Amino acid sequence: MITSALRIFDLSLGQMLWSRRSVFLALLAGGPVGLALGIRVILLLTPAQLPMVNGARMSGTAIFGLIIWLLYLRFIIPVLGAFYGTSLIADEVEDKTITYLFTRPIPRGAVLVGKYLAYLLCTILLVLPSAVIVYFIVTPLGGGSIGEQFPSLLSDLGMLAVGLAAYGALFALVGATFKRPLVVGLVFTFGWEPGVLIFPGYLKHATIAFYLQALVPHAMPNEESVVGGILQLFNEIPPLETSLASLAGITLVALWLASRATQTREFVLDQ
Amino acid sequence: MPIHDQGYRHYGGQRSAPGRRWAVIARAGVRTMFSKRAFIGLLLLSWLPFFVRAVQIYISTSVPQAAALVQVTPATFKDFLEQQSIWVFFITVYVGAGLIANDRRANALQIYLSKPLTRVEYMFGKLAILMGFLLLVTGVPGLMLLVLQILFTGELTFFRENLHLLPAITLFSVIQALTFSSTMLALSSLSKSSRYVAILYAAVIFMSQAIYGVLRQVTGDTNVAWVSLPANMTQVGSAIFRVPLQYKTPWPVSLTVLAGLILASAVVLERRVRGVEIVT
Amino acid sequence: MAAIIAADHVSKWYGQVIGLNDVTLTVPPGITGLLGPNGAGKSTFMKLVTGQLKASKGAVTVLGEPIWGNPSLYFRIGFCPEQDAFYDRMTGLEWVTALVRLNGATEAEAAAMANRALDYVDLADAAGKKIGAYSKGMRQRVKMAQALAHDPELLILDEPLGGMDPIARRKTIRLIKEWGRSGKSVLVSSHILHEIESMTSNILLVNQGRILAEGNIHQIRDLIDEHPHTVYVKADQTRALARAFLSEDDVLSMKFEDGAVIVQTARPDTFYARLTALAASGELGAIHEVTSPDDNLQAVFEYLVKS
Repeated sequence: MITSALRIFDLSLGQMLWSRRSVFLALLAGGPVGLALGIRVILLLTPAQLPMVNGARMSGTAIFGLIIWLLYLRFIIPVLGAFYGTSLIADEVEDKTITYLFTRPIPRGAVLVGKYLAYLLCTILLVLPSAVIVYFIVTPLGGGSIGEQFPSLLSDLGMLAVGLAAYGALFALVGATFKRPLVVGLVFTFGWEPGVLIFPGYLKHATIAFYLQALVPHAMPNEESVVGGILQLFNEIPPLETSLASLAGITLVALWLASRATQTREFVLDQ
Repeated sequence: MPIHDQGYRHYGGQRSAPGRRWAVIARAGVRTMFSKRAFIGLLLLSWLPFFVRAVQIYISTSVPQAAALVQVTPATFKDFLEQQSIWVFFITVYVGAGLIANDRRANALQIYLSKPLTRVEYMFGKLAILMGFLLLVTGVPGLMLLVLQILFTGELTFFRENLHLLPAITLFSVIQALTFSSTMLALSSLSKSSRYVAILYAAVIFMSQAIYGVLRQVTGDTNVAWVSLPANMTQVGSAIFRVPLQYKTPWPVSLTVLAGLILASAVVLERRVRGVEIVT
Repeated sequence: MAAIIAADHVSKWYGQVIGLNDVTLTVPPGITGLLGPNGAGKSTFMKLVTGQLKASKGAVTVLGEPIWGNPSLYFRIGFCPEQDAFYDRMTGLEWVTALVRLNGATEAEAAAMANRALDYVDLADAAGKKIGAYSKGMRQRVKMAQALAHDPELLILDEPLGGMDPIARRKTIRLIKEWGRSGKSVLVSSHILHEIESMTSNILLVNQGRILAEGNIHQIRDLIDEHPHTVYVKADQTRALARAFLSEDDVLSMKFEDGAVIVQTARPDTFYARLTALAASGELGAIHEVTSPDDNLQAVFEYLVKS
């Protein structure tokens, strides 16, 4: 199974990296870089100081934290997971190339796992460097020190990788189970997760964002909306160990279920 | 003995007038969507907030003790339309992502445009499908709430005092539907994969909002709300419903951004919807 | 001889649509043609025997083992699907090598096997070109190459000649026949009868989700009792021959045509026995040619579909 998965990984990585979809991935990963550059240029051109927030002046580190929270954690990571995770098998089915993989002496589950690994490496290779570039652009703003904050950057990178793994596995399961997986993925990302996070109680445990938040070394930003206010009010951060164990559990279980679903499901190609 | 022609028989019926053929495209699209059970489920779910608001209106008119808590004001209607935006998003993705992308994938554009159907009619037909469904979850329930308000109170005082509500609901729903439909249609013409289109659309909506979130915190004010598509919509909605503006961005700026988006979508559609791909 | 493929009361339905309806058959070693019009159930049958679909009812075995959920069987099977789908950005060699690697070969082994297969299908010169730049015929051949690169015992080809020009078609037919002659088995589907006829006489006829007939084309033809069998006999003395034929009741009708007599018989075995005896005796002059014009698949197929 592992050898077969690695061979599929080998075959899929090049396909994923050099596909037109990578343009989209690059745009997403490049968005925060563009934003960081924009902020830097504006602050260079205008002598205006960074604003005061809660009595303290906004710093480069705080801006980096904001970008991690609002762009990476709440948007880029789940969206990349939804897009690529649901496409692992769906792409091959849509392109009608799945036949070549499913008529080879490898378990079907290995096809999914191999493609998942390719997704993970491909997204990590693009998202993590993007976060590092943003860090180097914005951290020095307001007198921040790149060296001092470096350990926090490593935590951020770890969190992003874990997030990509967990969302990717969950959406791989969605892709292997549902007929319109991307719609389900978008409902989960933009409907379910922000929806249940505002409720107190156990419902939020049924999200990935809840556990992922515990891995972010920056404080959750204050948001102006009602939902943002409630989020702050019921903000509950689980212990780090619980979060890591839960995310690992979600990843492994979702991947195993996805692999089983691929094994038993029939894929009827459009004529 | 008369000899009957057994060959191909040309259509001898009535032909629709030129300029109205978009309706054929629209009808076919609407019928296709209504044949999907999942879509009907989504449509029904999107009407749930209407029933909640209907109950609110009923309580405000029938239970005087609760009237202060659930008071119905012009902002109620604006809030309702804004709260429908999540359903607008899901319906736009479900209906719109494949509208042109699927035709491009199946090479059906060539067939459509080889018929007596102009590109404008084709685009208008596609636009009508999505706009129709979006108005079904925004304008239609919005206007029905207004009717319910009149029916439950049994008088026209509220309606007379807020005469602008009828055009406001209509205008805001149309602006919402037109902006989101044209954006989605333009994106749908860019790819052959409806999944790719769906994610691009989500990126346009949510990334602009996320970027605004960062900029607001960095700049410390809401002047930069014009970068967010949802914020622009809120701003225009507030102006139309004559309620206090939520952001510092002047509403004409927000309106200009929305108009620019519609215009850009039209340009993209003009370039991409062709029977034959032009390689430059 | 053990069956290569066996289907036991196999049905497959998609929702309320029946793709295959209670099919029981065995496919012997050698080349077998699967014939039927579009929508007959050929593709469903191909997908079932290649383990892409699971039978809704019944069992499918290939090379003696159930195929569904049995990936190790693909070491012994090569499949060339109907759809014109590829990883267009790869070259022919890269693509075939990558797929052969999934059979467990090392990179070097896989490249050698891919080169051999591409050479076998006459694509050695284009091996380094991107598949996206291939013509339709080349694309069909590169699909064949990936199917046979790992030297399988059974080659399953779904409409392999679709879109090929006449020269490529002839080459491919020759290739399939060679593969069959080398002691391996081939199951090939087509909706064009003469294509199959040029490869094999062993056929399976499918229509409306059912198997209409299976076996040797001649045997099948003989089974169709209600349809007269036509025999074309070119001889020196056609009138004398006709008289001799009419002396028995196995002949239904006759007509003459440029030095030949065309006989319709309800009992071909009896008639051929008599004809052989007559030819051997030489009493009625030389018999130059005996053919059965309606022995071709088109005729058989039409008979079976109509009946």
